[in-house]
Amino acid sequence: MSKKAIVSLLILSMIAVACATEEAVEEVAVEEEHDHSDESTLDEVKERGFLKCGISTGATGFSEQADDGSFGGFDVDFCYAVAAAVFGDYSKVEFKQLTSAERFTSLAAGEVDVLFRNTTWTQSRDTELGNDFGPTTYFDGQQLLGRKADGITESSTLADIDGLRVCTNAGTTTEKNITEGAGLAGATIELVTVEAFAEAVDKFIAGECDIITTDGSALVGRRAVNDALNDWVIFPTSPISKEPLGPTYRSNDSAWADVVNWTVYATIIADEYGVTSANVDSVDTDALPELGRLFGANDGELQTKMGLDADAFYNVIKQVGNYDQIYSRNLNPLGLFREGGANDRWTNGGLIYAPPAR
Amino acid sequence: MNLEYKKSIAWMRENLFSSIPSSILTVATSFFVLGFFRGLFGFAMASDKDWLSVLNNMQLYMVQAYPEEDFIRVWISVGLALVFAGTSIGLWKSTEESSLSDVFSKFMKVSLAFLFFTVVAPTFSSVTDNDGIIQTEESFPMETRLQLLIPSAILVVVFFVLKNLKLNYKFNKSDLLCFYLAIPIVLLWIIKLPTIQLDSSNQRIIPDPLMPIADTTKIPWTIIFGLFLAFYFIGSRFKDSKNMKRTMSISWVLLPLFIFSWIFKKPEIDLPTILGQDIPIFIGIFLVGALTITFINNPIVEKYFSIYLGVLIAITGIALFISIPILLKSALLLLVLFTIVIPAVSSSAKGKRNLIIVWGVSLFTLSVLIRGGSSDTQIIVQQQSIFGGFSLTWLLAIFGTYVSFPLGVLLALGRNSKLPIVRLVCTGIIELTRSVPYITWLFFASVTMAVFLPEGVNFELVVRVLMVTAFFSGAYFAENIRGGLQSIPKGQYEAADAIGMSPFQKTSLIVMPQALRAIIPTLVSSAITAFKDSSLVTIIGLIDFLTIGKVIIGTQSIPVNFVGHDRENLLFIAFFYWIFTFTLSRRSMKVEKRLGLGER
Repeated sequence: MSKKAIVSLLILSMIAVACATEEAVEEVAVEEEHDHSDESTLDEVKERGFLKCGISTGATGFSEQADDGSFGGFDVDFCYAVAAAVFGDYSKVEFKQLTSAERFTSLAAGEVDVLFRNTTWTQSRDTELGNDFGPTTYFDGQQLLGRKADGITESSTLADIDGLRVCTNAGTTTEKNITEGAGLAGATIELVTVEAFAEAVDKFIAGECDIITTDGSALVGRRAVNDALNDWVIFPTSPISKEPLGPTYRSNDSAWADVVNWTVYATIIADEYGVTSANVDSVDTDALPELGRLFGANDGELQTKMGLDADAFYNVIKQVGNYDQIYSRNLNPLGLFREGGANDRWTNGGLIYAPPAR
Repeated sequence: MNLEYKKSIAWMRENLFSSIPSSILTVATSFFVLGFFRGLFGFAMASDKDWLSVLNNMQLYMVQAYPEEDFIRVWISVGLALVFAGTSIGLWKSTEESSLSDVFSKFMKVSLAFLFFTVVAPTFSSVTDNDGIIQTEESFPMETRLQLLIPSAILVVVFFVLKNLKLNYKFNKSDLLCFYLAIPIVLLWIIKLPTIQLDSSNQRIIPDPLMPIADTTKIPWTIIFGLFLAFYFIGSRFKDSKNMKRTMSISWVLLPLFIFSWIFKKPEIDLPTILGQDIPIFIGIFLVGALTITFINNPIVEKYFSIYLGVLIAITGIALFISIPILLKSALLLLVLFTIVIPAVSSSAKGKRNLIIVWGVSLFTLSVLIRGGSSDTQIIVQQQSIFGGFSLTWLLAIFGTYVSFPLGVLLALGRNSKLPIVRLVCTGIIELTRSVPYITWLFFASVTMAVFLPEGVNFELVVRVLMVTAFFSGAYFAENIRGGLQSIPKGQYEAADAIGMSPFQKTSLIVMPQALRAIIPTLVSSAITAFKDSSLVTIIGLIDFLTIGKVIIGTQSIPVNFVGHDRENLLFIAFFYWIFTFTLSRRSMKVEKRLGLGER
């Protein structure tokens, strides 16, 4: 047999190997068929052994990936909290970084169990898309950012941006809000749309637009990072839109919804009592019966009836922390503080409120 | 005035200022290039850039969330590739030599270029401050410039003197290449880089202290380089062995598959499955193939061979669509491919023996790769896929090329086929795939494909993307190869027919070798395109190399704040892609030269 023939044969077999290996990879992904209809997500998650949590590809303070590949942020911490409640181990989470376009399809297809992906709770998303929304974890609102040098002050309104160039990210509700708002205020604006908020800021710095607009949290964060507290102004004081951000899950799944909701509530209740991950072990549960019930110290019936361990929420507070800890840890470095804002405790005039645990 | 000086004046007059228009062009182009360099340098040096946002995130760029305790696997992957590279450089050792003064002249040119760019670099860069006013700041002060100028000027003089000593020691070019590669390794141990350090309250220490490069970086690189050298010497020992060269070529094809399915993936191996499933399948299929090879010249077998082949193809066709182990499916596929070529190549007893060995080795390789590829991974990451960052880019590029190239060959042959159905189907696939933009196909993979797949079959997004990529670049490869096929004169086909070659022999021995040889530049540019296009997956939410820099790093705020540093990362990404594509195209030029392309 000639050498050429051997070579050509080998090449052919390599081709076959290449083809076959691709199929091999495909085969891995074939999962056993799951009937979602009569099984709660809670059972599915328990059976699987870890939680699949949908987060943003990147949102400063909310979902970030650090240089070693680990995840952190406000939204990410709530994912950890849910995992701590279900498994007693916060690390049993698999994160899926989702773009805003694919978050709801991904949720509907069962690729994630819950979304903590700064998603605004709106009527249409709640009713038309087959989603349900949990308690709001962060009350945001769209605001505008301009330069003091351009005559913008904190008391400026939408009418003051007449004739200015406004940068915002395309295809979001942000774009719609500003167009509607400016139209109502009688201001003619030149809207410059970019793909991501970071680009809008780059354009703003380069002077290609006079105003940028997006959710207030992002604006405050960026202003702090750029050390521009004295030069950049965020206005109007009361946001031009309401953006309540919270967990999203598939509709008609009460058992799972309860788990997610009460995990969030547990962090809020613990905050009301001032219980943190540091002092959770020394809480006198006899003197504080609500905490006793919540942490499963007296009797854990409330949790076990939900399908969780009695000490599920103790684990949440112990391993992840209460609402205030989650907030301060992730958002205080960005210049976002609870005091006096919508995200303060209800006793301080904020909107963070949880139903009682009893 | 020595002769050399006169020579260079003459060269300049001839090449740069030969006429008034060309003088204008020379000046204008130099001006443009200089302006570009100054702009880029000013941008890079401006005080609002934080280049540590790139350096500090190298791990994220390369492997995203791959766990640190398994990093040895990443190093083994890189090490294997470099060991193979070393062996290949040794095997195909260059016969050209350069003298010492050529080397010094090269060094002198490099230092001269460095000197020149240090001189022309701008002192000031502009920074837009928060008021929107553009400030100029001194970003490259005189003392820094002098610190760089003096050593480089000394180097220029030293190398100039050394060059003019006309030292005539000769060095092999491949040996020199290894020497050049040692320079960055030595640098790893010498240089100190600004490193991000946090104080006790988790605040970044400013200015960043200069630290030597971490041991976890330099030790593996040094070991890998040592192995590279060792295998280079081993390779150069065997440089006259044709068999080694052949083995090496095939190993290069298998290496990425092996890395992805075994080393990087760390598959979960379950012994009962291997004993109870893999080994029986291997033995069974191997025996069928071996028996066919042995008895092919038996008159009875020859008589019924076409029926046997037809039945085999039918069984394989059915097997692809029923639920049986993937190894059985692919082994059957390989068996069919082998059975088709058996009559054409096995006539002598020696040929048969060789063919059985080839068959056994290919089937074994296939089984090993499939076992690794189809097992679950043991690597635990916090995100869905163990592939992220550059490892994902690389996976997409390699598989995009690997799967699409054979697919392209088949499609091109099918399009030129005389059978109308085959021709129509192939033409249909090619035209349909090429007439829709790649991004649309990506959205198809991400959103629509689930609807087309049968109930209960749910591919991972990465796999769906690999599938559409294979078809998309396969269609382009097919058209390129068709161009090559059409460049072959009709006489070649007729000659092959005249000496009684079978269609298979004609295609594999006469047509394809010539066609592929003619289109190597186009194929390389297709491969480069596939490599770069892989970054488009960012729009469907896969985190590849580009997305890391564009989306993830720009949002990091804890523990170190890199918010807003996306532009320097984009520049780094551009540079990184350039290195790879540039190397690839230079390699392909060498291959073209070796094949004597364009010299016919």
